[in-house]
Amino acid sequence: MVASEQTIEGTRRETKGSLGFVDRFMRFISSVRFGVSLLCILVVLSMIGMLIIQQNVNGFDTYFASLTPAERTVYSALGLFDIYHTWYFNSILLILSLNLVLASIDRFPSAWSYIVKPKTSATDSWLKGLRQTREYSIKADSLDTAAKLADKAFRASKLSSTTTEIDHREYPVNADGSKDFSRQRNRKTVTVFGERGRWNRIGAYIVHVCLLTLFLGHFVANITGFDADVQMIPGDSSDKIQMIQIDLDERQKYDVQLPFNVACVDIQQKLIDPRGNIGVANTLDWRTRLQIDDPEYGQTIADVSMNNPFSYRGFRFFQAEASRMGSARSIDLDVRSETTGETQKVTIPRLGNATLPDGTFVEYDEFLPDFTFNAEGRPDTRSGEYNNPAAVLSVTPPGGERTRVFAFESGKADNIPVGAPKAGYLWRISGFEKVPFAHVLSIKYDPYSGAFIAWYFGGFGLIFALCFVFFTSHQRVWANIEPKGEGEYRILLGGDANRNHDGLEQRFNKIVQRIEDNS
Amino acid sequence: MATEIYEKEFNGNGIGSYTPAILSIVGALLMLVGRIQLGDRFMTDGSLMMIALACYILAALFQLTNLYAPSEMAQKIGLWGAALGVFFNLSSWLVRWVAGYDREIAMLRAGGSEETPWIFRYIPLANLYDYSIAFAFGAGIATLLLARKKSVQVLSAFTLPLAALILTLARFIGNEFIDLPPVLDSYWRPIHVGVASLSYGVALVCFAIAVIYLLKDRVKVESMAIWSSVFGIAVIATISKFSVLTEFVYRSGLFLPNTPGAKPISSPFRLEIPYVGPVLVVSAVLLIGVIVFFSWYLSRGDEIAKKIGHGILKLSLIAQIIAVAMLVSGIRSANDVKTQLQDQLTSEPGQYLVAGKALAEKQNLSAKEFSAITPIQFEQMGRAYFQANGDKLYLSTRTNPVELTGLITALAGTFFVILFAFRTERLIERLPTLNALDDLMYKTACLAFAGLAMLLITGAIWANESWGRPWGFDSKETGALVAWLTYAAFLHTRISRGWTGRSSAYFAILGFLLVIFTYLGVSYLLPGLHSYA
Repeated sequence: MVASEQTIEGTRRETKGSLGFVDRFMRFISSVRFGVSLLCILVVLSMIGMLIIQQNVNGFDTYFASLTPAERTVYSALGLFDIYHTWYFNSILLILSLNLVLASIDRFPSAWSYIVKPKTSATDSWLKGLRQTREYSIKADSLDTAAKLADKAFRASKLSSTTTEIDHREYPVNADGSKDFSRQRNRKTVTVFGERGRWNRIGAYIVHVCLLTLFLGHFVANITGFDADVQMIPGDSSDKIQMIQIDLDERQKYDVQLPFNVACVDIQQKLIDPRGNIGVANTLDWRTRLQIDDPEYGQTIADVSMNNPFSYRGFRFFQAEASRMGSARSIDLDVRSETTGETQKVTIPRLGNATLPDGTFVEYDEFLPDFTFNAEGRPDTRSGEYNNPAAVLSVTPPGGERTRVFAFESGKADNIPVGAPKAGYLWRISGFEKVPFAHVLSIKYDPYSGAFIAWYFGGFGLIFALCFVFFTSHQRVWANIEPKGEGEYRILLGGDANRNHDGLEQRFNKIVQRIEDNS
Repeated sequence: MATEIYEKEFNGNGIGSYTPAILSIVGALLMLVGRIQLGDRFMTDGSLMMIALACYILAALFQLTNLYAPSEMAQKIGLWGAALGVFFNLSSWLVRWVAGYDREIAMLRAGGSEETPWIFRYIPLANLYDYSIAFAFGAGIATLLLARKKSVQVLSAFTLPLAALILTLARFIGNEFIDLPPVLDSYWRPIHVGVASLSYGVALVCFAIAVIYLLKDRVKVESMAIWSSVFGIAVIATISKFSVLTEFVYRSGLFLPNTPGAKPISSPFRLEIPYVGPVLVVSAVLLIGVIVFFSWYLSRGDEIAKKIGHGILKLSLIAQIIAVAMLVSGIRSANDVKTQLQDQLTSEPGQYLVAGKALAEKQNLSAKEFSAITPIQFEQMGRAYFQANGDKLYLSTRTNPVELTGLITALAGTFFVILFAFRTERLIERLPTLNALDDLMYKTACLAFAGLAMLLITGAIWANESWGRPWGFDSKETGALVAWLTYAAFLHTRISRGWTGRSSAYFAILGFLLVIFTYLGVSYLLPGLHSYA
């Protein structure tokens, strides 16, 4: 067996006793066996992390509260509430990466030799030891013609083919079976070698490179980046976002300074049934319109909707959640004049305004979905539901004073003072577009695009590499041809594949058939 | 002549061998056209799913018959029955797609909206029901593709019953549509979940091959009986919140009606189904007996122990059948649930406290708030719930889909072991060679491994687009990772340690069990972002 046949075992064949400690250690940590052991440990630790609720998962608080003090102490000491961020979990990932690197370095040269130094000749005894082997006689004009027959059959079976002539010098055999060392005889044979899919040999290493890219990219993203939240209320702006750090059942918030200012211009919620509530089940999408004022790059307007984040200078803004407090993106008002009795229809966007034909200036200040008076007697909302919606307006008649006005739905506030006509008009809501009071955007800072590189290059690379490894195979066929008699040649065929032995068997049988048919 | 054509067409060579799979898919697409043309008048996805289930069972029966009494006719019916099953299975899934679209468009129009969301929003890969239909289809189509080779068609006798079990689970889950959370409205969903369904289907086939390999490799049926009994005991011990072996009673979950078309709400109370608990206890005792006698036989070679063990195994099958039948009939025939529950609570008032705790856990309370609730308050919460909703509570086979499917799976496991013990030699003769099985197991494991890798990567990319974090060690993510790592270990042990054959088969079985845990266990037992799936 040549060196190139030893992909897995590596090229070194030293006995254990002849190796120093360092060599033995290196051999151990680069072994597939060690890698498999690490995989098994990872499996066990991951299972523990699944069964013990982790501190960043919803419901952890209740679970934590249900544990006894002794359980809490032991689990905390072992890091089981955040097992995926413990030193030992990360160490195993690191050692696994090291194992991948070392195992690849150790085995790559022998795999590479399949590509640069293919085994173009083989002994008869080696061929007879292969899974696919066949020996028979063919008729041909010459050795060259016989070799061409094999070459043609190989190519017809989509194998790239190489022919090697070999001159053998051997001692003739006497009648009693002993060799006659006094004489030498020359014998010429031909080996036709065909193969396909040799690059498959390095597929496993491409898989390893992709996995390392994935680990490294993810590591860089975690080390250099952070996650934070920002609440988006139309009209508000901020140059700070909030980072949340979880420590068991405690959640601490930190402000993080942004290099630019973010303003919320508008929020929208597309509902399946506009008559229904603003719950998740009735929602098609949430949309937040942002305005970024950057001292370095000027102004940028952007939309952030679900599954459609917005990236800016290493920051990615995602839709995370919506407030349960109902509000209105715009209101439709029926405004009835006290003097003429005429009703006008006005639509005002949130934080917007409108002017009536007589010059009355109307501003839409606030929306109370479930109007009530609080303990201090001030207008307030009882809940976030749209049970008794009221719009808070500021109305300034021409030449008059700015007055606070409450507009209710028709028939809901006819007999209470707060619903009485003001500034010369009776104010009623005829419709409104439902939105939450605020959206919460999640922000991921990843200055080096580590996550993108990890998952798009490493991840997709891994998928392609695995498909390449498993859906192709390196198939090799040899044909040793030597003269047997007048116009007759003995042909010994042998076939080998690193996987898909069924496929090789079919191809091998076709080659055998083709050579026989054409001879 | 017909046999020759059959051999030629379905012996793994040429496009002809794909005929059953192609016809199934084309037929299902025609059904889709029919659903679009005829609208609501067309067959429902639920009825198509039930026909698919019947076809799978029928095909499996014919394939099993063919194993023991080889017949060209049985084999053909088995193959075409499987093709019909795949056809109805896929039709059900496609028809559900259109039905989901029609349902929401009707809601939008009723609300005055002119919005027409993109069609992929309604692709039926949104909840465990959808997912189960797709999973069964993955298993069915993988079986059909495998059955291209006549020599390995017998495998369908083992894969089709598993596909049927998945559809049974789907039946118990119920086919109500969910209101799709906006985060799921992404083109990544069909990619991610579709890959999951197909790769889980391939993993199922790999599992079936591994079991057959063990059988062919002459792993004693008694060893298999021990493992299937361990599984059966584990199911009986854990269902009904561990009450079967601790209190000798089985309590079924209760539903509270929801708005029309929506899935009913699970109640925190459970109602005892008479006689089911004791019969399950008897089943468990018999299964323990199976383990004891067969262990004795395997360690000492005692033929009498073997004989007794087989007798007990058959008795345990009968006991399990009775338990499942009593459970289903008990649930179906129950009336006046409130009075029965009232009587149960009067004798066991501690259940108010358990129910109160379950209610409190759903309220997203902080640790401090939860700790502050006293046992009396928990009990009051339970009582208040019962007072308010007691009249509306009702029993259904769908309240505990995983429990019921677990019991049926345990029953099926026992049945198959008994079947394997019947004319074992004849059965082994009919199975493909060990090399062929090992090769197939390796190929399917490679496919499952690549598929699970795609599942993880597409899921991570989708999470990165939706939540801004590609990997969060959510339960489902971790479950899929664990299954993938197991298959990785499986493939590497083949390389490094030459663990082919029997060792590989054990790994393949472990890998599939982890896949099932991710598919069901994580969804029903563990909290996380994938709780809808």
